[in-house]
Amino acid sequence: MAFAERMLKIDRRIIFLVIGLCTLLPLLYPVGLPIKISPEVRSVYDYMESLPERSVFLLSIDFDPASKPELHPQAIALLRHAFRKDLRVVAMTLWVSGTGMADQLLTQVAKEMGKENGKDYVFLGWSPGGTAVIINMGQDLYTAFPSDYGGKPTKGIPVLEGVHSLKDVAYAISLGAGNPGVEAWYVFGKDKYKFELGGGCTGVIAPGLYPLLRSGQINGLIGGLRGAAEYESLIGQKGRAVAGMDAQSATHAAIIVLVAICNIFYFSLRSMARG
Amino acid sequence: MDATVLGAWVATGLTLFIFSFLYKDNPLFKLAEHLYVGVSVGYTIVKAYDTVIVHLIIKPIFEQGQISLLIPVAIGLLMLTRYMPKAAWMSRYAFAFIVGLGSGLAIPRTISSFILKQVEDTVRPLLSQAGEGVTFSMSLLNPASNLNAIIILIGVSSVLFYFFFSIEHSGPGKVVARTGIVFLMIAFGAAFGYTVMARMSLLIGRLTDLIEFSDASYGHPTLWLLIVTVAALVLLARRRQQEPPAAP
Repeated sequence: MAFAERMLKIDRRIIFLVIGLCTLLPLLYPVGLPIKISPEVRSVYDYMESLPERSVFLLSIDFDPASKPELHPQAIALLRHAFRKDLRVVAMTLWVSGTGMADQLLTQVAKEMGKENGKDYVFLGWSPGGTAVIINMGQDLYTAFPSDYGGKPTKGIPVLEGVHSLKDVAYAISLGAGNPGVEAWYVFGKDKYKFELGGGCTGVIAPGLYPLLRSGQINGLIGGLRGAAEYESLIGQKGRAVAGMDAQSATHAAIIVLVAICNIFYFSLRSMARG
Repeated sequence: MDATVLGAWVATGLTLFIFSFLYKDNPLFKLAEHLYVGVSVGYTIVKAYDTVIVHLIIKPIFEQGQISLLIPVAIGLLMLTRYMPKAAWMSRYAFAFIVGLGSGLAIPRTISSFILKQVEDTVRPLLSQAGEGVTFSMSLLNPASNLNAIIILIGVSSVLFYFFFSIEHSGPGKVVARTGIVFLMIAFGAAFGYTVMARMSLLIGRLTDLIEFSDASYGHPTLWLLIVTVAALVLLARRRQQEPPAAP
């Protein structure tokens, strides 16, 4: 058996081991590779920066723990930025399986930033209906969410003062891992009720959202762990996303090398068979 | 035991059990997989029951007297008639209501957002007007440049032609269809690249947790549970070797 043939039939567990080591070693011994900020992430940051104090910022945490490694750092970075800017944070989720996680992350960041529930932020929780919830919120926020996650009636909560519907939201960001997510927020929210919308998403769905970015349907996009790392760099609070970037680069390099080697072996085997 | 420490042990154990599949399918992986499915379904049912049944139906009707809520409740209950063959026809009214309402809400909005807006963005001017003259911007990095507008126009037209099967793809048509394939391949490549990035991010997330949970403050769960997992895999492999071969 030729060397190329043996290599192409290599035990896949060896490849798993190589990828595992390429991920683990940079996490244990970080190098600190530079992170370049992309225009789509900077757009979200710049818009947040431009908002006046006490503007209403809606964060829809549309993911569940399965997408936590990518979207959790994005949510933390956005919340830190919003609280630092003293924005009124209204958080919610369209994914029932992400409710507990969303509450935990909001409470954790609010505590870290010294913010008070009801006065500086509110977590509305989950409401059934998927995209219909967005339409409902566009008409009357209090019908869609009669009470917050803790069961307190939403009418009369200080942070929601002057907020009747989505039209009163200064900026909304959906951190989506699928449907309902960023697209639903555009179709049933921004397109109808005319508020500014940004997006955050997992790497898998990011290519599908770039057409919305180019056409101005969303004003910015934070894509995957890479986007989260860029946002963490922009706000100057480096967290888990930045820490994972060395590992991400190392694994990508390993995959590129493996793809190139496999192609070399494949074509050499083919030329041997022909010759 | 502190809840955080207990959580760290459970998370570490389940992560290692799931990772053990990379070596071979085994009962530890099956245990973690079934637990994952069971817990997520159980969590969803409890949350949905608490939010919908308790907070949006029972409390408003009985505590606030919102009798009008009985209408959506009745429509919802009609759906359950599907489980009774003699009354199953009644569920059609509920489905008709939902399909009608859903289509009415979704179709115009989807056409507006995904077809009209995207067509509008695709047919951008190929030349720009600056003052009295006409300019052509060549920057590939600027999404709004004229060069990118031409690339998008060629890409959209050639891909649409590729999926137009009423004409044989020969002669000049073959060149256009091949161009469409090139654009499709680039799109697939970009999507695959992002997918790899996403999957690696998930791996990074789990490994970051394993590193964090290897700390003494948690009682070194990563180390101990790694030993347990490896030992269990070795024992299982030995037991399989000792089993008599299956009868032909």
